[in-house]
Amino acid sequence: MNIDYSKETAVVAGRLSLAEIEELVAKPLDTKPDKKYFLALSISGGALMIGAVCLALSFYYGLGLWGNNQPIGWAFDIVNFVFWVGIGHAGTLISAILFLLRQKWRTGIARFAEAMTIFAVMCAGIFPAIHTGRPWLDGYLLPYPNQHSLWVNFTSPLLWDVFAVSTYFTVSLVFWYIGLIPDFATLRDRTSSKVKKTIYSLFSLGWRHSSRHWQHYEKSYMLLAGFATPLVLSVHTIVSFDFAVSILPGWHTTIFPPYFVAGAIFSGFAMVVTVLVFVRKIFDLENIITMDHLEKMNKVILATGMMVGYAYGMEFFIAWYSGVQAEQFVFVNRAFGPYAWAYWIMVSCNVIFPQLFWFKKFRRSIPVMMVIVILVNVGMWFERFVITVTSLHRDFLPSSWAYYTPTLYDFGILIGSFGLFFTLVILFTKTLPVVSISEVKAVAEGAQPSHHGGVSNA
Amino acid sequence: MHNKNLYGLTALFDNPDKIISVAKKTSEAGYQKYDINTPYPVHGIEKAMKLKPSKLGFITLVFGLTGSFIALFFMYWTMSIDYPMIISGKPFFALPAFIPVTFEVTVLLATLATVIGMITFFFKFPENHHPLHDTNYMKQVSKDKFGLVIEASDKNFDLEKVREFLQSLNPLVIEEIYHKEKENNSVLEPKFLTLLFAIFLVTSGTTYFILNKLLYMTPFDWMSEQEKITPQKPSNLFADGFGMRTPVKGTVAQGFMPYLAKGQTNPTGILDNPYLITKENIKLGKSKYLTFCSPCHGNFGEGDSRLRGQFPNPPTLHSKRAQEFQDGWIYHVIVNGQNSMPSYAPYLDVEERWAVVNYIRVLQRAKNANESDIQLSKKENLKNASN
Amino acid sequence: MSEHFEKQSIDNSPDPNYWRSFKELYNYKETIEKKYNEFEEGVTDQFDPNENLSGLSRRKFLALLGASAAFAGVACTDYRDKGEIVPYNVKPEEITLGKPNFYASTCTGCNSNCGILIKTREGRPIKIDGNPEHPVNQGKICAKGQASILNLYDPERIKSPLRKNYNVFSETEWKYVDDNIVNVLSTVGNKEIALISHKINSPTTLKLLNEFKLVYPTAKLYSYELFNNSTRQSAWKKSYGNESFPLIAWNEAELILSLEADFLGVDENRVENSKLFAQMRDVDSKKFNRLYVVESGLSLTGINADYRLKVKPENQLEFVLGLISELKKKGVISTSLEFNVNLNDVVNNLNLNQKTVNYLVKDLSDKKGKSLVYAGDYLSEETHIAVNLLNELLGNTSLYRKDSLKLNQYNLSAFDEFSELVNKINNNQVGAIIHLNCNPVYHLPLDIGYRNAITKVDNVFSLTETMNESSQVSKYVLPINHNFECWGDFQSRTGLISLSQPAIMPIYNSRQLEEILLTWIKKDSQSYNDFIYHDYLKSNWQQNVYPKYSNNLSFDKFWYSALHNGFILTNENVVLNLNFNYSSVNFKNVNKTNSGYTLILKESYALGDGRFANNGWLQELPHPVSKITWDNYAAVSFNTAKELGLKDNDLVEVKVGERVLKIPVFVQAGNADNTIAIELGYGREYSGIVASGVGFNANKLLTKNYSFSPWIYTNVQINKVSGKYILASTQEHHAFDIPREQDLHFKRHIVIEGTVAEYINNPKFISEKHHIEHESVYKPFEYKEVKWGMSIDLNKCLGCGDCVVACNVENNVPVVGKDQVLKSREMQWLRIDRYYSGSPDDPKVSTQPMLCQHCDLAPCENVCPVVATTHSPDGLNQMTYNRCVGTRYCSNNCPYKVRRFNFFNYRDHFRNGYQENPVLALLNNPEVTVRSRGVMEKCTFCVQRISDARSEAIRQGRKVKGSDVKTACQEACPTNAIKFGDINNSEEEFYKYRNHELGYYSLSELNIKPNVTYIAKLRNVHSEEL
Repeated sequence: MNIDYSKETAVVAGRLSLAEIEELVAKPLDTKPDKKYFLALSISGGALMIGAVCLALSFYYGLGLWGNNQPIGWAFDIVNFVFWVGIGHAGTLISAILFLLRQKWRTGIARFAEAMTIFAVMCAGIFPAIHTGRPWLDGYLLPYPNQHSLWVNFTSPLLWDVFAVSTYFTVSLVFWYIGLIPDFATLRDRTSSKVKKTIYSLFSLGWRHSSRHWQHYEKSYMLLAGFATPLVLSVHTIVSFDFAVSILPGWHTTIFPPYFVAGAIFSGFAMVVTVLVFVRKIFDLENIITMDHLEKMNKVILATGMMVGYAYGMEFFIAWYSGVQAEQFVFVNRAFGPYAWAYWIMVSCNVIFPQLFWFKKFRRSIPVMMVIVILVNVGMWFERFVITVTSLHRDFLPSSWAYYTPTLYDFGILIGSFGLFFTLVILFTKTLPVVSISEVKAVAEGAQPSHHGGVSNA
Repeated sequence: MHNKNLYGLTALFDNPDKIISVAKKTSEAGYQKYDINTPYPVHGIEKAMKLKPSKLGFITLVFGLTGSFIALFFMYWTMSIDYPMIISGKPFFALPAFIPVTFEVTVLLATLATVIGMITFFFKFPENHHPLHDTNYMKQVSKDKFGLVIEASDKNFDLEKVREFLQSLNPLVIEEIYHKEKENNSVLEPKFLTLLFAIFLVTSGTTYFILNKLLYMTPFDWMSEQEKITPQKPSNLFADGFGMRTPVKGTVAQGFMPYLAKGQTNPTGILDNPYLITKENIKLGKSKYLTFCSPCHGNFGEGDSRLRGQFPNPPTLHSKRAQEFQDGWIYHVIVNGQNSMPSYAPYLDVEERWAVVNYIRVLQRAKNANESDIQLSKKENLKNASN
Repeated sequence: MSEHFEKQSIDNSPDPNYWRSFKELYNYKETIEKKYNEFEEGVTDQFDPNENLSGLSRRKFLALLGASAAFAGVACTDYRDKGEIVPYNVKPEEITLGKPNFYASTCTGCNSNCGILIKTREGRPIKIDGNPEHPVNQGKICAKGQASILNLYDPERIKSPLRKNYNVFSETEWKYVDDNIVNVLSTVGNKEIALISHKINSPTTLKLLNEFKLVYPTAKLYSYELFNNSTRQSAWKKSYGNESFPLIAWNEAELILSLEADFLGVDENRVENSKLFAQMRDVDSKKFNRLYVVESGLSLTGINADYRLKVKPENQLEFVLGLISELKKKGVISTSLEFNVNLNDVVNNLNLNQKTVNYLVKDLSDKKGKSLVYAGDYLSEETHIAVNLLNELLGNTSLYRKDSLKLNQYNLSAFDEFSELVNKINNNQVGAIIHLNCNPVYHLPLDIGYRNAITKVDNVFSLTETMNESSQVSKYVLPINHNFECWGDFQSRTGLISLSQPAIMPIYNSRQLEEILLTWIKKDSQSYNDFIYHDYLKSNWQQNVYPKYSNNLSFDKFWYSALHNGFILTNENVVLNLNFNYSSVNFKNVNKTNSGYTLILKESYALGDGRFANNGWLQELPHPVSKITWDNYAAVSFNTAKELGLKDNDLVEVKVGERVLKIPVFVQAGNADNTIAIELGYGREYSGIVASGVGFNANKLLTKNYSFSPWIYTNVQINKVSGKYILASTQEHHAFDIPREQDLHFKRHIVIEGTVAEYINNPKFISEKHHIEHESVYKPFEYKEVKWGMSIDLNKCLGCGDCVVACNVENNVPVVGKDQVLKSREMQWLRIDRYYSGSPDDPKVSTQPMLCQHCDLAPCENVCPVVATTHSPDGLNQMTYNRCVGTRYCSNNCPYKVRRFNFFNYRDHFRNGYQENPVLALLNNPEVTVRSRGVMEKCTFCVQRISDARSEAIRQGRKVKGSDVKTACQEACPTNAIKFGDINNSEEEFYKYRNHELGYYSLSELNIKPNVTYIAKLRNVHSEEL
């Protein structure tokens, strides 16, 4: 089908009434999960268990079980961390930035994206905690009065991370929860099960859809969006500082903050698309999460993909331009050294394949976009791998060069993180409205007063 | 639904345009305590209701600023005042490095304050016992209807008038809402007490395990148990259980010479005092004498023990015989001991022993000084006094 | 409830169109059904939301909170005691708790008999230092000597006498063993009692053995060394007629031509050699010798050469003769001798670098009398004679040290004698064999047949510290004391006798070897007491030594001062007759240029002849050239590898005659083509857990009837076999073929080098080229008091790795094992980096000790989130182990990659808890933390020594001085390349090196202001080479 882009298309397709919208969204919550659901859950749960076991063993025997070694102090652990934090950027971005930009189409996907953000940040949060040699002492990263009468080092990027990620998680959670309150109320009032009613009531805090409340509510939502936006940018900027603030060639780069943020949006949108494509099919939400939404996201992917590509090029240019031998070596080594394979996977997945999105046909074709977004996810994981490992494995002193080979435990924990993510996602789809009911109602046709409305009744 | 006190009257309407006009009318009718309930925010309603713009923004502002200030000050205090440390040669207050955290804390405080402020201060939430809950009215407005409620507590509320007024707005339905009666729950329910007990077991159990067991297991023990033998640490490796060993008989450590005169009766031949009497030497001798000898021999060597007869008093060091002792002999006694006096070799090194000998000489001379000595000391004192 | 409401709403429904959507919903069957049975009946009956919502009122919540807090408090009552202490009953005079004592003694790791100081804490040896007064090693001691303390505490030492019956060893009593053995020995009748031992350096032990022979007349003493200087000795005898050859005055040689000699690496007295050699590599006095090395395999000496020629060992005689005739042609030397060897032919045959050879000839003639030609122990007797001749003709004999000759207490037995012994065994003429702390089954060539013959003797007694191949086939295995539990005297050269005294009573139920023999001599197991040999030794000295050297001291004073110093000087007047016996010169085996492969079996740098195989520190000490640990290998040149299609880690089969060995290959740059170099000492069958399965036993390739020399075999076959064996190296192998990876150490100013000529021309040539002034955003912190710094003179650093082991011992550095080295997780705080430049055929080698540089602007510090690494006010970069959570960020950000992370608890991980054995707790330095798993660590500049010095200074009421502190590596360095001191104190000697005109910082562009100054290496090449 083709669409006239000159006029804004309806956000909710198929002229649904308010009640219908509500029904549609609430259906998964009312119905009992079927076999497929449990199958999916068991798969993701299994993955989670694998991760848990590997983690337990590494905790018992020590990080030696991983592939990390002397020059390569960080590998999968930090790669996964950055990867997940990146994923975690789409949600807040969609709900906050698009909200500020008055993009109505966000309503369909915002709730889901936010949920993914929170889950992704959970996954991300695990890694800094477990990558330490003595995880049981992670508390030392928090500035609390203690026996050493020692505080923390506020000049360390890792500490900025602690603050950034925890703040980001808290704010996203709050943001998400605020959005959920009216829906909780709605669910509370429509459910017939006492147990559910209790739970919904608790979380709805006794919301009454009062206009006096709506007024503050919208204000707060606006404020939160206003804060969340710079927060999103700051978080990945700070994550990039982990690398940029060091003196390691390949890490010590001023381009990192924008480059990382672009990458984060890139991978985040890719992940959202990946999951939404399934969700809208399974819970027949095609009318609420429309093809237009997907297409718009694909456009964003294309744009950010090219930003990332630009960054790749620019890194090389600057390395050459700086005239620093070590710097130049690192980048040549990336493309032609022992880890060239990783580098070229990254480039092809992140820069070459997304170019297909120049064609509307591909932007609007589910299978094509599936393939591409999954490739993008892969590519972005490898980008982090390339940055972390290839820079470390051959730095200043040739005497301390080495090669990094991941062990089964590394893979196990990576799988585990995916397991956690999808387990949470799957549980989410059955326990909470995957689309914001009140928001969608608000943008449904005829939901808002027509300009002469008030007058006519007068 | 009777003999309860009335909360208010509600009316339902079914489209946004209608509710706007209803809102206008109600506010014009001069009602203060009324509310409009809509499933989603209806644009323009606050205008119709003549609501004042939300003050929420101020909370955000205040707490945001507080956040940045607290963060900056805290970092300054920890890094520059409370426990300054040299980190990469940076100054103690490295402002650029403090910006990220400042920003994050600002955002965190601002957002949390906004939300919590709104929920508790503006909404008075959580409130699950509001009369409106579990009413048909609430069910409808939370689905797809738009409702008006006029509270009985309004100053010009009169049931009949209000009912008329509502009828005039021709709603879908009019409903009376009543207050619920408060339920009470005391702390002394058996159910609750068992809960308390369970929590008691869990918390105290885990705390005990962590503090008294876990924290003594490697690697959780902060390296308090290390595989090395510190002084006086026992070792079950040796039969005697001593971690400290004694040197092998007949060996010679650097800087030590075995005492050749051991057990000899008159060793003075091979022992002559290598140390001249100097101020430092005497000082050293004095301190060692007071530490090791004075308990028995007395501070001035008169044999006036401080042990109050718990140990046989030694003879005075000022006896004729003692004065005629050779330095070597006194040294020999210090090393070997004599009668009930043990050897002091382990506690005094060679220099210190000779120093003690010298100090004893000083005591002896001081005790029975002759005229010239007194003159001499007087001169000394004068010299000291002058400068 | 719900339906009630719906009904109600239906009732009062005036507006029909309101129903449109809702009806549809109402008729939506599924939903309705689901609604009704979404929860099974009964589940939610007695459940009232209102009640439950309010179930947890604020009041109750607070109650809960308070309660749990209170209860938590209750649980924190129990306190655990911190363990008891056991003080001395009577404190020994010399011991002060927390202060070390030092006992002068003698090292028996090899036959150099270096003087050592055994550092003890509360009567436990914890470290070995060189004895500064001792003439041989003057305060220095090699890696083996350093690490030998680990053998003292080796958990696998035999704990009490073992008796074998039915091939199982069972513990037994000394009395029982003594009685039986004495009985056996006295009833052998006319059968021989074979005493087999390593080289005997102790006069008293020899005296004892002679007495043994008197008591047991059929006793015969055999002594052997796997590596020895027999060829040198016999050659010397032929050239100059007397047994003992002189030692060399390396510090006077201006030119050294070393033929296959590793006099800086593994040769005897290498510590002394290095020290003397380095005196002629001195930037202060600008005195530089020039070192030519002619060798087949790249050795430690080779990497320090100014010029290097690759010559197969069997061709080196030819080369020397070529030199002689060339010099003669040039009229530099005059001799009637004629050798039909022409140097140019030699150069062509061996395709040597013509230019280098010309330089060599030139230098030899210029430096006549001040040059020295030195042949390695491996070479044949003829080569040695030729070299003696060349030195004689050049008048280099002035460099022979008149004062001290090598001394033999008892000549080594030739292989024939052992064959003889084997025959006797086969003819059943041997009643008993006694292994005196030696391992002939492993060491002797297989074709002597000792290994099989010994099984025919049922009375085999092994006196040994740990089980080995020889004790395995013995009837009784008797545990003997480690050297540090022994009394003894040693004389391996003229001019001095060294003494050794025990630093601790025997840890296990073992006895000193001599004590055991004495008991047997007395034929009475009761006669033993702990001091039986001490008294014997003392009385022997009273009778024989004291009278000779007494200088009007009482014997007690003489004896005690001798023990105190660890040696006595016997200024006897040595006669070194130097009239060359020209008749000795007739060479048959000249011109043996052959194309076949040549095998050279070398001594291992770390393990010696294999007696240190069970020492983890030495196993893990990287090979000074290849940096490979935990294995030996067949080193071949690049061309040879190409020919045979070999790559690193490929397995090959080396065939000498019918003797075969399967061993992995390592392609070693700078090796001579068609030569295979293998190190011995590996592949032990019966040794401890540590050595088991390590390396390959190349002793199999030895033979008694060799043609050239016992260690060098020509016409060896080598062919590739299937399979690989991965060798663990601490350094990625240098890629010679990838241009972008070439000479990075120069391009990045990690290593800066020059030539002596440049330096003479312009002493500032380094600083002018490389000094950069950096600006800093911040005003740097000012260190007003003492600030610690180090300087390393790369001219003196030979890359031997003694400092590495010293550091391990001092700082409780664990052994991690091959698997971890393969993962590049070795823990050594100090490492010797080795860089190649140039071609694989003729690589230029640079070595650089790399340790924490304690940078002022340390990159590691600002990235640590928990301030576990910070700077101390005296300029140290500190690690706070207990604060470290192990993010490894510091290591990532360290440009020198000197930080080490405990990925495991290695004491537990290596050989399942081998290092957690309680006895090894005695070894650990009590002043240094034993780090736990998950903690980052690194060089501390021996902070424990610094604080000792500080407290001592405080005791003396003064400020601590830079010269008060010596780091472990500095103490160990045989060439004094490492200096340590106070940067701020311009009075000290260190200051000179800190601000030396040749000084530079590695990676100085980074502007992190390191506190380790490297003194640029100067190569003493000919000036026209620039």
